[in-house]
Amino acid sequence: MDKESPLMKMQSRSVYKVPKGKLLKIYLKYDEKSNLIDEINITGDFFAYPEEAIESMEDKLKDTLLEKEILFKKIDSIIRTENIQFIGVDVKGLTKGILMCKK
Amino acid sequence: MKEQWRLLETGYGSAFTNMAIDRAVLVANSGGKVSPTVRFYGWEPSAISIGYFQSLAEEIDIDMCKKLGVDYVRRITGGGAVYHEKELTYSIVISESHRAIPKNIMKSYGKICGAVMKGLENLGIKSTYVPINDIITNGKKISGNAQTRKAKTVLQHGTVLTDVNVEKMFSLLKVPNEKIKDKLIADVKERVTSIKHVLGKEVLFEEISHAMKIGFEQEFDVELVKGTLTEEEKELTKKFEKECFSVADWNHRR
Repeated sequence: MDKESPLMKMQSRSVYKVPKGKLLKIYLKYDEKSNLIDEINITGDFFAYPEEAIESMEDKLKDTLLEKEILFKKIDSIIRTENIQFIGVDVKGLTKGILMCKK
Repeated sequence: MKEQWRLLETGYGSAFTNMAIDRAVLVANSGGKVSPTVRFYGWEPSAISIGYFQSLAEEIDIDMCKKLGVDYVRRITGGGAVYHEKELTYSIVISESHRAIPKNIMKSYGKICGAVMKGLENLGIKSTYVPINDIITNGKKISGNAQTRKAKTVLQHGTVLTDVNVEKMFSLLKVPNEKIKDKLIADVKERVTSIKHVLGKEVLFEEISHAMKIGFEQEFDVELVKGTLTEEEKELTKKFEKECFSVADWNHRR
């Protein structure tokens, strides 16, 4: 990875093509013992409205347990409270992409 | 009498200026200071723009861009990385509440892409809108589009490819696996086309711009009246160029 990339510090990444959607590239730093998210970057060629809400989502995902149902509910709740509209990716795709980062 | 919208033909500009103008017009229109605006422009030097959510360092070979004198910039719109060289770029800025714009984002992509398709038809090219954000002709992509909505205002910009240099594009974009680069290049050549390729001849930028102008007028049933940036928009352009689009903090933020 490029030395200038802010994602260099991340321990794990995933690349996931959402069915009928866009390419999701997720960078994750997490505690391998507790399975809690330490830091996350959700990148890719998708669309989200408003765009800035993605940063808020990344903040709110900190300390979330990397477990399918819990993660799904958390993302769904953030989307509702932040009133985010995703195009090219959905809750299921985000959950899958994040869990793919788990070693 | 038909509703009049402003037409901006700003010619060739740098990546930073181009993105700054689109944002300046968005701010001016959201403040009610300018009418709905359609703009046509090109890129000089050639540049790569990446979508708001993409990682610059992950998508672009920065060293190669510097070596070849290719600019790079992060857009305020989502979507993918685009190599802008031989193309006409359009942008449209219009209030979300304007009767011509569907509230539904996907429908509004379709409506605005309809104008680009009419523009292509004026050049003799039949095309189709393929959600989410592509326009294709004979099964190949000829236009990519990206939309944002801020301060109750829609900004959509997109490319109309006049020619393609897939090899150069791939020398500037990072590929996940060098071993499959040749296959990726072959795939993209199969999936992407251009006005030159479809018509078998070069078409002047001005000719495409004119065809697109008519296309927008037809789709929206308006008259596009040639105008210029206001003084306030010029100031905003300078500000956004200096404080945002040419700044590493913005471009490397993801």
